[in-house]
Amino acid sequence: MRFVSFRPGCCVLATTALLLIAAAPSQAQTRAETLRYVTGSAVNTLDPNIPGSTRESFALSMSTYDRLVAFGRKQLNGKWVFDLDTITGELAESYDVSPDGLKLTFRLRKDAKFQDGSPVTAEDVKWSLDRCVTAPILGKAQLLTGSLTSADQFKVIDPLTIEVTLPKPDKLALPNLATVYPMIINSKVAKEHATADDPWATAWLKEHTAGSGAYVVETFKPGEQVILKRDETWNRGSANKPAFFKRVIVQSVPEPATRANLVERGDADLVVDLQASDVQSLEAKGKLKVVSTPQYNAITYVSMNNQMPPFDNVNVRRAIAYALPYDDMFKAALFGRGAPLFGASWPDGKPLNGIYPFQQPVKLDLDKAREYLKAAGLPEGFSTTFSFNVGQSSTAEPMAALVKESLGKIGIKVDIQKLPDAQMSTQINEKKLPFYTEGIVAWLPSTDYFYRNFYTGNQRWNYSSINNPDLATIAQEARFEPDKAKYEEAGRKLNAMHADLMPQIMLWQPNQDAVMAASIEGYTYEFHRQVDYRDVSRK
Amino acid sequence: MTTGLGATLVRAGRRLLSSLPALFGVLVFTFLLMRVLPGDPAVFFASGPNAGKEEIEQIRKQMGLDKSVPEQLVFYLSDIGHGNLGRSMMTGQPVLKDLRERLPASLELTFTALLIALIAAVPLGVVAALRPGSVVDHGVRLFCALGVCVPTFVSGLLLIYVFYYLLGLAPDPTGRIDVFTSLPPQRTGFLSIDFLLAGDVEGWWAACKQLILPAVSMALFVIAPLARITRASMLVSLGSDFVRTARSVGLSCRKVVVTYALRNAILPVITIAGIVFSTMLGANVLVEKVFSWPGVASYALDALLSSDYAPVQGFVLLMASLFVLVNLVVDICYGIADPRVSIE
Repeated sequence: MRFVSFRPGCCVLATTALLLIAAAPSQAQTRAETLRYVTGSAVNTLDPNIPGSTRESFALSMSTYDRLVAFGRKQLNGKWVFDLDTITGELAESYDVSPDGLKLTFRLRKDAKFQDGSPVTAEDVKWSLDRCVTAPILGKAQLLTGSLTSADQFKVIDPLTIEVTLPKPDKLALPNLATVYPMIINSKVAKEHATADDPWATAWLKEHTAGSGAYVVETFKPGEQVILKRDETWNRGSANKPAFFKRVIVQSVPEPATRANLVERGDADLVVDLQASDVQSLEAKGKLKVVSTPQYNAITYVSMNNQMPPFDNVNVRRAIAYALPYDDMFKAALFGRGAPLFGASWPDGKPLNGIYPFQQPVKLDLDKAREYLKAAGLPEGFSTTFSFNVGQSSTAEPMAALVKESLGKIGIKVDIQKLPDAQMSTQINEKKLPFYTEGIVAWLPSTDYFYRNFYTGNQRWNYSSINNPDLATIAQEARFEPDKAKYEEAGRKLNAMHADLMPQIMLWQPNQDAVMAASIEGYTYEFHRQVDYRDVSRK
Repeated sequence: MTTGLGATLVRAGRRLLSSLPALFGVLVFTFLLMRVLPGDPAVFFASGPNAGKEEIEQIRKQMGLDKSVPEQLVFYLSDIGHGNLGRSMMTGQPVLKDLRERLPASLELTFTALLIALIAAVPLGVVAALRPGSVVDHGVRLFCALGVCVPTFVSGLLLIYVFYYLLGLAPDPTGRIDVFTSLPPQRTGFLSIDFLLAGDVEGWWAACKQLILPAVSMALFVIAPLARITRASMLVSLGSDFVRTARSVGLSCRKVVVTYALRNAILPVITIAGIVFSTMLGANVLVEKVFSWPGVASYALDALLSSDYAPVQGFVLLMASLFVLVNLVVDICYGIADPRVSIE
């Protein structure tokens, strides 16, 4: 109930009364039918294509826009994760891939409507995909990884059919269309807000949505919260019915301890990105559901600059690989919450399979490390710095201390350097850091994709600055290899090279810990490492 | 009276004018400082999974960083002249809009905290001064010491733990208002005032409940300087001739302490309160973070970490202007507290 002010004028009273009547039932039903999702960062744009957009913005756009296709899901050790190999139609009712793999034909759903009620047509799809490869936005670089580079590749066949032509049979073309960026925009609405300087309406779409997604944006406060309302006519979910929750509140709560309190008290329904220690204690209390999924498309590294002495010497890199106290680091940084990428045994010295990332055959062995240092001509050791960014200090700080202590034992003197995030990215980009820890995420985790993006070229993501032509060639060829057995063979070769050259050391894949009320069901680990609100429901 | 007011206004105007060069200096200094700091915002913001050189160049151009620093400064100054503080990469909004939305949140919190602090500190200081060396005096000293040594985020987290988590008395510490409460029409930006103007008492109470914990944790930290300065200045004032005279003519204890001693002792307290206020406004970032308070300080910190130039520059300019205003208000308060004072 609200307090009604006794101001003169029946008009005011009548309006207030009306508001009360309108508000009362919706207030009563809201809590059970509302999902309150608290996050550390915040949604900063409604169009995920804008440079600087956050993970929270990615997740939001998954629910406000549809794409042509979507990833399926599979169970991995009993937990639901996205499945790169199952691509289902979202706006597309069905799709065909031509036998030579050069043509993808999508037939749109006849009943698909934008949130303003107008039908979704092939014209809209073409405009949206054209925008993604033409406009100066993030989608451009992403779609490039699937050989989608020019507007000529998208052809409208009839109002409900669109054809995508590829220059080469690229395995990643289809999965790319299921990622965050190639969302389908209502082109009629967007064009109305386009200007001569901004023909793709990027400025307008940053603050407005024009999509066909499961949720409509009700209020958007950049940096604070977004409130979404369900679109009752949306039927692109797996069960051909609208999303479960009538309302979704996505709220930024920067302090992780507060997020943990909120979900424990039942005020928030779902939270990811908690501190490992909080997750552990919440799990121990047993009141809440904790779903921990190793982020199988993310890796944390200890990287060494392969172009900078002394790390240009392979034996120095090997020495480091044998001198890291892996188990202690894993416990101190993550409380063991993740999938380790160390300590494997390769009986015949060969990789077990062609999948990257793989568990490396390294463990703490100081004698071996000293031998390698001697082989490198540095038996007395050397001095270096070990850097990490402030944003990761809760995991990287204890880790760095252990690295320093352990390397000290073989004569390597380490200075720990804690850098503000922007400074760290700049230095990585300029290849100025000799020795540091960083993480990566790949949306489309296939072996060749990892090697091509993270081990080749003079670019930011090549953390180790490795420049090995053989590795680059194998990875490049694997990209278009249609034969599964040959692809596997290429993967094994690459993994063997990685273990031998040791350009950088893979540590682990941290868990994504999603903590939720016991009544929440259907949580799936998504490629964008946030919650897809369409997945979840309440018992 | 009119001449008095007129004189005050003229004085205030003169004060304001003389602060303009300082503001300009702050403007240029922050601008240069941000550019000297290592860390390229373009690289930071181009951190999508596939962002390459092209994206970095794109953002650099968008932020105007492809031009030389003097050129950038000229553009920046002309933008400021047109009332444009630039656009934040972080929130994607114009900085002016961000600040306008967030400043009332910070001000509301700081005012409330200062009010709580003054209400607690002045009586504490007076009581301590009346009985120096007694148990009460030591008690006040201990309380102040505790308040100062516990950092605000610790007291904030403790308060949350006790009042929200254990007792369930306080609402969840997530910003200015419960997410399920509808907002009043925005008039002042101060929620507690807007709710009252809208006649929504329930909403007003909800906003106040959200405000209490963060305000108290901030107040705890500043009670100490206020109480100590009140005590010290009361001691001087109580030991002075006019108080002795007042006592000797048999005035009531209350009249002596409040009307004569306190009124004379309050000047330094006002000065300190002004300084404390300005510091709180900029330094309450930890409280804002802990309580997810959508204020300007946490906004500036996030911007600083990601080298987002425009918001940081806007924030510093805002703080400098506020500092000038606060000093002005303090000067005017002097005149009211002690008519003999005239600041030129």
